[in-house]
Amino acid sequence: MEAATVSSRAGSKPAPARAWAWLRRNALLIFAGLAVLYMLVPIFVIAVFSFDTGNAQGELDFAWDGFTLEYWQNAFANKAVTESMVTSLELAALATVVSTAIGTLMAMALVRHEFFGRRATNLLIILPLATPEIVIGAALLSMFISYKVSLGFTSLFIAHVMFSISFVVVVVRSRLIGFDRSIEEAAADLGSTPLTTFRTVTLPLLAPGIVGAALLAFALSLDDFVISNFNSGTTVTFPLFIFGASLRGIPVQVNVLATMLFVLTALTIVLVLWQQRKAKEMASVRPEQEGQPAQV
Amino acid sequence: MTTRRRLIPYWLLAPGAIWLALFFVVPMYFMGELALRSGTFTEGFESAFQISNFSDALSGHTNQVVRSFVYAGTATLIALLIAYPLAYAIALRAGRWRLLLLFAVIAPFFTTYLIRTIAWKTILADDSPVVSVLQALQLVPEDGRVLATGGAVIAGLTYNFLPFMILPIYASLERMDTGLIEAGKDLYASSTQTFLRVTLPITAPGIVAGVLLTFIPAVGDYVNAEILGGTGTAMIGNVIQSLYLEQRNYPEAAALSFLMMLAILIVVLIYLRVAGSGAFMGDEDERRA
Amino acid sequence: MRTPRKSLRAVLALGALGAAITLTACGGGDTVGGASDNKAEVAEPGPPVDGEFNISTWVGYIDKGDGNTISKFEEEYPGTNVNYTEDVNDNSDFFGKVQPLLDEGESGGRSMFVVTDWMAKQMNDLGYLQEIDYADVPNVDANLKDSLRSPSFDPDRKFSIPWQSGMTGLLVNERLAPDVNSVNDLFDPKYKGKVTVLTEMRDTVPLLLKADGIDPEDATKQDWLDEIDRLQGAVDSGQLRRFTGNDYVQDLTNENVVAAIGWSGDIALIANDSVDWRMPTTGCIIWSDNMVIPVGAPNTAAALAWADFAYDPEIQAPISDYVRYVSPVEGIEKVNPALAKDPLVNPSDEFTADCSTQPNPPGSAEDVQEVTEAFQAVITQ
Repeated sequence: MEAATVSSRAGSKPAPARAWAWLRRNALLIFAGLAVLYMLVPIFVIAVFSFDTGNAQGELDFAWDGFTLEYWQNAFANKAVTESMVTSLELAALATVVSTAIGTLMAMALVRHEFFGRRATNLLIILPLATPEIVIGAALLSMFISYKVSLGFTSLFIAHVMFSISFVVVVVRSRLIGFDRSIEEAAADLGSTPLTTFRTVTLPLLAPGIVGAALLAFALSLDDFVISNFNSGTTVTFPLFIFGASLRGIPVQVNVLATMLFVLTALTIVLVLWQQRKAKEMASVRPEQEGQPAQV
Repeated sequence: MTTRRRLIPYWLLAPGAIWLALFFVVPMYFMGELALRSGTFTEGFESAFQISNFSDALSGHTNQVVRSFVYAGTATLIALLIAYPLAYAIALRAGRWRLLLLFAVIAPFFTTYLIRTIAWKTILADDSPVVSVLQALQLVPEDGRVLATGGAVIAGLTYNFLPFMILPIYASLERMDTGLIEAGKDLYASSTQTFLRVTLPITAPGIVAGVLLTFIPAVGDYVNAEILGGTGTAMIGNVIQSLYLEQRNYPEAAALSFLMMLAILIVVLIYLRVAGSGAFMGDEDERRA
Repeated sequence: MRTPRKSLRAVLALGALGAAITLTACGGGDTVGGASDNKAEVAEPGPPVDGEFNISTWVGYIDKGDGNTISKFEEEYPGTNVNYTEDVNDNSDFFGKVQPLLDEGESGGRSMFVVTDWMAKQMNDLGYLQEIDYADVPNVDANLKDSLRSPSFDPDRKFSIPWQSGMTGLLVNERLAPDVNSVNDLFDPKYKGKVTVLTEMRDTVPLLLKADGIDPEDATKQDWLDEIDRLQGAVDSGQLRRFTGNDYVQDLTNENVVAAIGWSGDIALIANDSVDWRMPTTGCIIWSDNMVIPVGAPNTAAALAWADFAYDPEIQAPISDYVRYVSPVEGIEKVNPALAKDPLVNPSDEFTADCSTQPNPPGSAEDVQEVTEAFQAVITQ
């Protein structure tokens, strides 16, 4: 209603004042638009250069050489680029499944149960978040060597699950805290076994949190360079390949695959968000703020 | 039955706790042990109790330690200033654009951080339009540059960790009951007052989480300084990398790593105490009480 | 947090847990690093040559596309699968990653590395390399250029075979910095903030020494430290923009940088017609990246076959044409006459008359460490 009064009043004012009023009213949205633009600028640059002809070796040379669709048509022709991307996707998928499962269980224990050692557990979860990646990477390396674990996909998998768990716990926990137990209790009263209750009630309601956590874990794994650099052995992930290539010349296909990945993620996220919205509509029967954390 | 019940949390915790114990605590233990060794690479590092590694590690690198905290702190502050209004707009004002905006914020996350950083190098090249505009606005001196300066490193840190700031704040805003704002408006009349007295306190846990999730990785980062920085912009991460891989002074590298972790933990604990929120540490009991 | 004592106890509990796990799981390992017993094995020649062949090397060091060298090799030796991994970005960095493995007598599945002279020597001194019997690599024996047959770090070429050689000199934008001819010109205040030097100490410091009229072969530790001080001064005054590896390519292409210390072959990568590689007036630094066979390497037969294969001029010519570095193989100009005319691929003795081979800092391991630390302190400040 406020907007309506402002605009009706604005009608009688001179143009600059009207413009100013409009600006003030929409300042927040304008700012948000600019901020989003800022976040997307590098993506835009990456996408544009995926249509660049590149140099004679098909590498980006940081100058615009001309438009071509060649690299999109041969997106997977560069074996090294494709293989590193496949490795990264496999690694991220595996690490996401395992860390999401483990992390969700931990979050349930922390929110739902009283037990001896919860402070120690909380600390165990916070510490990896507070540890710089380079420290984790180097420390893991010294351990793998001492235990003679050969470096490669397995060591990367172990490391990626490790650094994802804490993020998963934090995300799922925040969802669990605002969670109404009464539906579960009702299910139990109706004679449902704990496992069935978990499967049919808890899991669907938790799904948005879990999916969010999984997305985060996937992104972290796909993005990781520092820890992987220490523990990769001869396995080359996408970021590792890019780092090596960036020193001499990045094959144009890197930008093509990066853009593809962006578009695919875009679709996935939109799908997930739609799903979430539906879930929320379903869940909105419960009193919304009951389970929320007390405020400071 | 009751014993079984009491054991449930431990069963739930076991896989994660064991994973973290084996692959986080044990490596850290190795690192701690390494930090106390003495010797040189060519002669081997003997087990000793050489505390001086810690003072050596710190004395030579105070500049970089201070710089890391300044860079990361500045980047965190800028990220907060960008993220809060953005998250607010998305959560409460975007209407049907909400999904699209949220997507635009999350999606860059999935295009490898290294390529994004390299893309910034193209965007900020000395004779690029962006830098010309900054020069025209006198934000950068006429003959000045952005790349290879501390400013570029801070910009890179801000950009790369921004999603970590936006998401928790967005989550806290999204869960907020908008009825409270209406009530606040009735009570305090001015929207500034409403924001300060209602919205901000309710979203405080989101801010606390966002600040920590941005600040911690930013302090330990070395990729931004490596790609966007120049001479005299090295952070602790770069020093640790050099000590480890170039100088092969493993004990000093381990000692510096430990000091850095300690410094971060102290800053985090002080911050949490001042911010007065257990949200990040997951103190659900606070709520239950 | 409200009860710090509890948190402290938790930390101690975690530490104890870690210690307990470590003690039960791990028995020995009292020293880390250090030279192992130097008992060089001789690489086994096979036959037959087949199976997995893993090689770790630098980016952009081999031709690509249809009928490239790797596919030709796999054709020549059916059953062989070459895993050509470009994971060497920096000698020290790579060494830091593989050293712990090598120390255990393992190579991480790699049959071959490609590393620079001084790193090959360092690895050999630590007993990490296998010897090569020239009877197993007849092409190398026949076609290795004379000038590369007895370098000071490996006089009999016992453990190293050059893959490619190169020259470190100046990369100059002729339009924006026409008068940069000597390494000293990089310190001209005119170019403040527009010049870079290499993070590779053994390239940057010796070039500065030569520019000051000091022969790197005769330089003392103090000479090295003095040049490092000079770099420090240039950092303090803002003269030097960055310390770089190959990543100067982007800065030179975008003209963020007008002159740099750089490697000869990289001129092929810089998409800016104004930029050229220049021989410094006081000469260049010459180095080779060498194929070496690490201890514990699987499939040494394939490694030897690979080295021998690359030394066939017919095979080498396309590699050389692609990478544009100095080829160590005699006779490629007969296959591709154009290569003979390119001074960067086939430099004449006259052209390189003032050049020095890439030196190590003088003195004992401790002296080298001291110089390395001083240089790294300048880079990471």
